[in-house]
Amino acid sequence: MAYGPEPKHAEGRRQGLLAISFLLLALVTAYIPAATQQSIAWSMRVTVLRPFIATQQWMVAAKDNAADVGVLRAQLDSLSATVSSQAGLLDENQTLRDLLDLAERGETSFRPATVLRSGIPGSESMFFLNLGSRDGIENGAPVVDRHGLVGRILEVRQEISVGMDWTHPDFRASAMLQDGGTYGIVENRRGAFREEDRLVLNGTAYYETAPDNTLVLTSGLGGVFPRGIPIGRIAGIEEVQGQWRKAYRLQPMVEPGSVTHVIVFTGIVPNNLDRLWSADSLRILEKEVVEGREP
Amino acid sequence: MSQDVRLWLVVLGFSLIHFIMHVGFGFGPAVPDMLTIALLLAAREVGMGWAAGLGLVFGLLEDSLSVLSFGANSVAMTVTGALGATTRNLFVGDSLSFQVSYFIIGKWIRELIHWTMAGEALRLPFLEQVMLNGLLGAGYAAGISVPLMMMMGWRGREAT
Repeated sequence: MAYGPEPKHAEGRRQGLLAISFLLLALVTAYIPAATQQSIAWSMRVTVLRPFIATQQWMVAAKDNAADVGVLRAQLDSLSATVSSQAGLLDENQTLRDLLDLAERGETSFRPATVLRSGIPGSESMFFLNLGSRDGIENGAPVVDRHGLVGRILEVRQEISVGMDWTHPDFRASAMLQDGGTYGIVENRRGAFREEDRLVLNGTAYYETAPDNTLVLTSGLGGVFPRGIPIGRIAGIEEVQGQWRKAYRLQPMVEPGSVTHVIVFTGIVPNNLDRLWSADSLRILEKEVVEGREP
Repeated sequence: MSQDVRLWLVVLGFSLIHFIMHVGFGFGPAVPDMLTIALLLAAREVGMGWAAGLGLVFGLLEDSLSVLSFGANSVAMTVTGALGATTRNLFVGDSLSFQVSYFIIGKWIRELIHWTMAGEALRLPFLEQVMLNGLLGAGYAAGISVPLMMMMGWRGREAT
């Protein structure tokens, strides 16, 4: 009588082979091309994970509905005052354009969007927006809020898009001081702990001095971000290399973790956006921060 | 209701709670990693292959939301599931100290593998992600899962 392997051993071997197969499959998913990875991710998001993402959208909407009516009314009043004060200017501008027979200026188009975060390890620097290609969103579009630069769009699908904020290690923005005198590159620099991550204005010339609290804006160089979006304020020297380069720490204008609503530019983004963040608005914002109030 | 049915209901329930709390409500680390707890619970009841398969499914779901390091969660959960199931052959008892160690080490290994698989530029510092968050998360997971196992009458069950 021939002795075969015990059933328990056969089952154990089968389970071992199965585990190795699944492990190989998992390793394959880690090294397949990024486009294929994204296709898998998107198919999961629009099927199995859809209800959970939708739940977050409902939660954000519910929080908005519960917002303090007084604050909303104050914001609406400020907006109405601004719009009404500009109505005369617009009229005057239109009259002058007609007299000079000038064509209509291209309108800046943008869309408000709700930020959704997955809260899963590995997703700390990215966010979803409830807008997609059908809303005119394009890859690389700048994402801002009323305080300044949040990040940019990385990937767009029909109904939803993925963006990265400035805490992403790949974040870079060509930047300048408000007076346009000093240029450099703003990048994210990792600390020993996540709370120590900071924005740094790097690559500025050694002999150029940037006083503390100076506003740093996007410079528009390179074409990734348009000129004039506030990024942060100088908060001291980060490092000095030899006698030819300085890097400055920045106090960011936007804390990405607390952002719930943003503006995404669609279509042709104008070259200069600095009027959207006027000096008066920034002063009011600083005052609110100093007084410890929620801006 | 049989023990197996209860187990799978708990695994399914924990998975749903994980995504509702982390994704739907955005609670983040305030809520323990229920998905790893569910995997570790299931791994004690099924073979190594099926535990690895369940880990792969859970990992892919998490990877679909993490974007930046796709595959890291898949590998981490697959290995964690397989190792969790292997403990059935190594430790036959279900003593309290074993269970606490099982969940703490299981969750910590998951964090360690995830940290290893995530790209150098993307992962958090070792000290923060593995030693601090990993150990705190592991303790949190054990603190949730062991009392739950006691309540469900799984503690004290000896392998036959």
